[in-house]
Parts: sequence; C-alpha cells; structure tokens
Amino acid sequence: MNTANAKIVRRAEGEPVLAYRQVGKRFGDLVALAGVSAEVRKGEVVCLIGPSGSGKSTLLRCTNGLELIDDGEIALDGKLLPRDWNGMRRVRQRMGMVFQNFELFPHKTVLGNVTVGPRTVLRMPRAAAEKRALDLLEKVGLSNKAPSYPAQLSGG
Amino acid sequence: MNFDWSVVWRNSDALIEGTKLTIILAVTTMAIAIPAGILLALMRLSGLRVLVWGSAGFTELFRNLPLILVIYTAYYILPVATGFSFSPVITGIVALSLNVSAYNGETFRAGIASIRKGQSEAAYALGMTRWQTTRDIVLPQAVRRVLPVLASTWVSLFKDTSLVSVISVGELAYNSMRLRAQTYRVLEMLTAMAAIYWALGYPQAKLVDWINRRYAVTE
Repeated sequence: MNTANAKIVRRAEGEPVLAYRQVGKRFGDLVALAGVSAEVRKGEVVCLIGPSGSGKSTLLRCTNGLELIDDGEIALDGKLLPRDWNGMRRVRQRMGMVFQNFELFPHKTVLGNVTVGPRTVLRMPRAAAEKRALDLLEKVGLSNKAPSYPAQLSGG
Repeated sequence: MNFDWSVVWRNSDALIEGTKLTIILAVTTMAIAIPAGILLALMRLSGLRVLVWGSAGFTELFRNLPLILVIYTAYYILPVATGFSFSPVITGIVALSLNVSAYNGETFRAGIASIRKGQSEAAYALGMTRWQTTRDIVLPQAVRRVLPVLASTWVSLFKDTSLVSVISVGELAYNSMRLRAQTYRVLEMLTAMAAIYWALGYPQAKLVDWINRRYAVTE
C-alpha cells in the first residue's frame, strides 16, 4: 500500500456546497440534533464520526429531506433546502445517498438497480440507461454481475 | 344401493357448460378483484381521510357479510339501484367481486406494509415520486410477497363461485343440482360435481405453489 496517498490534502476552497447552521431535530422528547453547524466545500471528503445514537444518520436523513429539521437551516449551493415534498424531491435527484444496509431493490437485477433511477427520474431511454449502467459496472468490475439479483451477490 | 353412473355421461354437456361458466366466473372475478384490491390498499394507506374511510368502510362491510347474502342482495338491489336489469351471471360476478376485492385489499395492505421503510426511502433518495416508488419499488415486491395468500383466495373463490347457483347462474353447482333433481341420481351427481371441482382445484393449487417458488423474492 502506498502510504503517501493516505495524507489528507485539503484543497477545498470557495463557497460551501453544503452548509449546516444551528440544525436541530427532535423526535418527541428525544433531542437527536442540537445546534449542529458544519460546512462542506467542493472537493472535500468529510467524515461524520460519533458513537451509535449520536445523530449521524439523522443529520444525513435531514440533508436528504427524509426528515424535516425543527431548528436552524441547511443550505445546498447557497440555497436553503425546500421544505415541501416536490421541491425536496428535485434536490434529491442531484444528491446521492447510500443507505446503511444498502437498500438494494431485491426484485431488480444489478442492472435494474442501477438503471431504475435514470429511467424513472431522468426519463432516460432504456437502451441509453443500460449502456451507461454497463459502462459504470465495467469500471467497478461488476459487469459480469449485471443480470444477478442482490440476493446472489456477496456482501461488502 | 344402486348406482347408475351413466347419468353423468349422458349429461356431460351440461356439466361441461357449467364447468366453463365456473371458470369464467372465477377468472373474471379475480381479474376485477386484483386491481380493485390494490386500489383499496393504496386508498387505505394514502393517509387521505376520505379515501381511508371509503376503503375501510368497503372492506369491513363486504368482508364481514356472508357471501350468499351479498349475492341475494345484489340480485334484488342492483336492478332497482341502477335501473338496468343485469343477467344473473353479471350479478354473480358483481357480488363475488365485492367480496373478493375486500379480501384482496387486506392482503395487499399487509403486503405493502411488510416492505420495509428503507426501500421506499431509497427510492425517494433517487428522486423518485411517491407514485413511482409505489409502482416500481413497493408494489412489485408486495405482490410477490402476497402471492401465496392470493393463491389461497383464488382456490377459495373457485369453490365459492358455486354460491351464485342460488340466483340461477348455470355454473357447475347449479347444473349439477338441477340434474340431481331431474334424475334423482343424487350421489352420482354430487360425486361428479365433487370430482370436477377437485380435479380443477388441485392442479391450480399446485401451479400456484410453483409460481410462488419461482417468483419468491429472496433478500
């Protein structure tokens, strides 16, 4: 392993892509997030670290609009996240999210899992979506798994 | 006791006609009751009060009334309520559909509820709409999951079509009973009827078992 690459290089500059300001979230009496402020700039890789139950997933879910925040604000590209369903849906189309247990769609093949987003959300034609998906699968060495179902894959 | 099985062969035309109608009744009812059941389940889970109550009211009414009562009621009420006179076959299909739709609604509701929340959240995270999520992610999984339940509903329905004989729909039970009364060959006709229902029902149950194994979703 080349340890030289493990050095953290901070070359992020400019305006934050994602900004959290005094974000708060409660579930009933439970305070999940209180006064969270952070910024993420272009080119930056940011790790959110904390013990189980400290609100890491909650913050991500709020960022993606799967939960609505109770206090503070979250801005993407300088614009506050919309609080309505359709506005948030358009934001999600540009924001990737990987779930803790992946949440692959078990009734779809690997190819189906990769193409369902472009096809339903971007209305990409089937052939184009599949071509792009196969190129991407090729890139990560999974093109031979395209017709497999998630249950047939090994984890990790 | 004397048996005269020739009565079955001599009347095979009526039995075959009845069997055909029985199959038509069951297939048509299910073809109506599956989309209706999905619709009822989506209404029930929509969160919109009017739809929730409409669906729940329909389901609880028709799930808890004896089917034979629904059949009689449809027979007497439908012409009055609509101003049209329906054939007994149509009336029978309406009554059967009301009953089976209510059952299917509950089946699909359970199936949809059994798909874990993360699946729809993953779809939302891709930017899919609620309807796209329901149509492409939740429903296909839910339908596969409830196939065995739909299958037993189907097997029940196939036999329950015999109840519409009370409004003189000439299906298998009605024709068998009529022949029994005309020929006085009670055991022969009942046995023939049983044999036909069983011979048709058993392979269906087996076929459904196979479909279930074939299309089961493994996680």
